[in-house]
Amino acid sequence: MRFLRTCPALIATAVILSGCGGDQSVLSPFSDNARTVNVLSNVLFIGGFLILAVVIVLAGLAAFGGAHLRRRLAGENAVVIGGLVFPLVTLTPLLLYGYALLGAGPNPLDGQRPLKVTVIGEQWWWRVIYTDSKGDSFESANELRIPVGRPVKLSLTTADVIHSFWVPNLAGKVDMIPGRTNTLTLSADTPGVFRGQCAEYCGGAHALMAFKVVALPAKEFATWLDVEQSQAREPRSQVEREGLELFLANGCGGCHSIRGTAARGTAGPDLTHVGGRKSLAAGVLPNTAESIARWIRDNQEIKPENRMLPYRSLEPGELSAISSYLSSLR
Amino acid sequence: MIPGFSTPRLRALGSWIVGSLVAVICAALLFAWSGLYNIAASSGHLAMTRAFLEFGMRNSVRTQSAMIEAPALDDDVDRVRLGAGHYQGGCAPCHGAPGEPVNPIAEHMLPPPPTLAPHVKSWQDKHLFWIVKHGMKYTGMPAWASQNRDDEVWAVVAFLRRLPDLTPEEYRDLAYGNASAQRRPVTALLSSGSDTPDIAACAKCHGTKSAGPTSNLVPRLAGQSEPYLAQALRDYADNSRQSGIMEPIAAELDEQTVKAVAAYYAGLRRNQDPRPEPSLTGEHDAGEKIARDGVADEAIPSCLSCHGENAAERYPRLAGQPQRYLALQLRLFRSGVRANTEQARTMAAIAKRMSDRQIEQVSAYFGSLRSFSLQPDERDAALTAPEKQGANQ
Repeated sequence: MRFLRTCPALIATAVILSGCGGDQSVLSPFSDNARTVNVLSNVLFIGGFLILAVVIVLAGLAAFGGAHLRRRLAGENAVVIGGLVFPLVTLTPLLLYGYALLGAGPNPLDGQRPLKVTVIGEQWWWRVIYTDSKGDSFESANELRIPVGRPVKLSLTTADVIHSFWVPNLAGKVDMIPGRTNTLTLSADTPGVFRGQCAEYCGGAHALMAFKVVALPAKEFATWLDVEQSQAREPRSQVEREGLELFLANGCGGCHSIRGTAARGTAGPDLTHVGGRKSLAAGVLPNTAESIARWIRDNQEIKPENRMLPYRSLEPGELSAISSYLSSLR
Repeated sequence: MIPGFSTPRLRALGSWIVGSLVAVICAALLFAWSGLYNIAASSGHLAMTRAFLEFGMRNSVRTQSAMIEAPALDDDVDRVRLGAGHYQGGCAPCHGAPGEPVNPIAEHMLPPPPTLAPHVKSWQDKHLFWIVKHGMKYTGMPAWASQNRDDEVWAVVAFLRRLPDLTPEEYRDLAYGNASAQRRPVTALLSSGSDTPDIAACAKCHGTKSAGPTSNLVPRLAGQSEPYLAQALRDYADNSRQSGIMEPIAAELDEQTVKAVAAYYAGLRRNQDPRPEPSLTGEHDAGEKIARDGVADEAIPSCLSCHGENAAERYPRLAGQPQRYLALQLRLFRSGVRANTEQARTMAAIAKRMSDRQIEQVSAYFGSLRSFSLQPDERDAALTAPEKQGANQ
């Protein structure tokens, strides 16, 4: 009978907790970095819960206990033990444990050759610049691909206001601050797609500034990097050729680059391999030809005040040619 | 209680006032109902009435225009020429012009539209501006067709300042611009057929086969793309592109004429006019950089990505457009006056990111391309070489 009474509460708790998992959650870590954060959080939660329980019991005894007990609780010893000794012996080890876990001091990943990536927060998207060992670099946007098991050294900065780089499954937040470059080293354990989100209010469309992190097995990553580094693929059909022509003739190249074409603008995201990304417009739309067309036309309605120009003067046929071409750029 | 007035006396006074008011209103209604007042324009006004109306009108103009700040017009040739072109079509039919009598129909309006030359001196610039912009109730003087284009109204004011001193020849030269050479008798116009459009209305201000625009506030149309020119005329006609000068002209054209005019100007070669730009600021190097590369940090795309030779025909080519015209249009985009079509909204979004300095720089750059000694075809090649290279990679 008692079980039946607590059953709904258990189910409700399970349902609520299930919302804590998934691809943007600190409770399901996929890297050493995130795991340490997770362990430390658990220690804090459980320790805090135990201390709270003890305090409640003592408060109960102070109110309802016998005269002897109450006298002892009000004594000087109780204040010294409870108010000085106890915080000292709990908080000091916790601080030291925290230092040890979060790796303040020499980074354990520094031994391996890390992949270097610069991520620049811009209102309201992410410019991602990969740099190889020779120092050559190329640009992508709104998606970070990393090899499983290899450390990735992220240089984080901003082009305008303060943003914050946060992929809960992989690491804690790191702010992107004007005039400063912060470093975050992380490494994913297992392949997967994780969601990141700007975690510092940065203006109207802040909530619509997300990105994906795709962790790939080392071999797949190398293949992807080769493709991503290369120039855009040539248009293969008549529609795609028209799309490229229209893209250039309508000035899209004034803000966007497609490497290998005349489009060399740098104000907006590089579109050389835009069709291969998991999402569009910084995690806002699924990446399909239809949503590319929708974005070109209605971007100010989808993400108000973003800096992409409204292009509502394009004919539906022109829009669909441009979006088929862009969608083909994998 | 006021001394000397008892309550009954006050009450009697009140009734007397109310009674008189009611009587006056009834009399006025009765008079209007009877139709005895003669509203005929032919009957004119009593001298006393005329003096009273004039007194009220002058004071109204002065009071209403008190807050207006006039720009320095000091014989601004560009404004004078643009204002003259509009005056010829929009004002002269009623107000007359040097060497051109008032239209006899307009002469019989009440009040008759005054010949302006003797009157201009009695008004300040801001008074003239107010009259031209807002028009006058009960007189037949219309308001400016686009209430957002103060720049055009000032052009008319600049011309009005010159009006008293003009000889008929000088007036003809200013007002008919490039059309003066082509003026033909009405019979010749009637018999000329419609295979070539009569572009006299355009040539007053814009160029012709052999001449550039008469004013640096006027764009050169020669060699502009046909779809762009036709769309501009349609936008002027339905007021989605606002202009008190272009709207009356464009609104009169049917679709066939719109296409013919657009085709005529699209067929002309660019850059035949060697007249140097007088107001180049020398900042065109910085302007060239913006035109070619944009300003990435401020999300300003390169101008040439839409206005270069390889761009879609829906966008205008800017090389050789007068600096003053370009700067003016960029400011109209920026202030939202020119943002009523989908395409204009794209440009307005860019112009909002531009500073006054950047506007002057890019305008100076595109304006400076006019003085290139290259033949149009060579110049076009020089201008677009980098794009072409890129496209061939």
